[in-house]
Amino acid sequence: MTTTRFSFSPLAAEFPSTNFPQLLLSNRRPVLAFDASTDETAYWTFVAPQAITGTTTLVLTTAMASATSGTVGVQAQIEAITDADATDTDATTSFDTVNNSASTTVAGTAGYIKQISITMTNQDSITAGDYCRLSINRDADGSAITDSATGDMYLLLAELRDAA
Amino acid sequence: MAVLSDNARAEVWADAMRQLSNDRETVSIIKTDLRAAINAIDDWIVANATAFNNTLPTAAKNGLTTSQKARLFALVETRRYVDGS
Repeated sequence: MTTTRFSFSPLAAEFPSTNFPQLLLSNRRPVLAFDASTDETAYWTFVAPQAITGTTTLVLTTAMASATSGTVGVQAQIEAITDADATDTDATTSFDTVNNSASTTVAGTAGYIKQISITMTNQDSITAGDYCRLSINRDADGSAITDSATGDMYLLLAELRDAA
Repeated sequence: MAVLSDNARAEVWADAMRQLSNDRETVSIIKTDLRAAINAIDDWIVANATAFNNTLPTAAKNGLTTSQKARLFALVETRRYVDGS
């Protein structure tokens, strides 16, 4: 059985000091607009739910602002901090290794949604009750995943699924 | 006149994609094809800059700065192809 553990809204996103996606409205729907030439990142904070099991999957509901061809690549990371961990939250981050999506062909019509799945193989040994952050970025420069589609990729929502 | 630097061309390319996204205008080609178009346009401008200047009436040719001539070119081109007149 697969369980939805969280839905991460653009309105709940947190941002780094530089290279973050713009928060926009697309037909009154809040979206994060990820640039096509610069890698941009957004974060969400959550507590790992009770009964969370092993590997989780992130499902991103996206749409393109203008592109009708090409592919996008998205990367996600988890930072999971357990009570009394030696992580100075005031000064450091401790995200686990990046998880890559496939290079995913965009919808043939701008504005149509495309759901992109990322298996969170590297999830920082997340356990129930951990203080966690999720990081999502578009690999716009194609450093790890082929990303050929022009223009912004809108993130409408991110869902974290658990196998439990 | 030299072509734009690789960096400058990349900035134009990024700006073009941002504008098209803001306008929500459908784009059917991929990033590398759009970048190739930017490069080709810049090459064409360099190759045809002298011809463009020689097309201008003498008063404008001698009396306007390069920047003013470039803005005139952009205004006419925009009116013709972007505004749809």
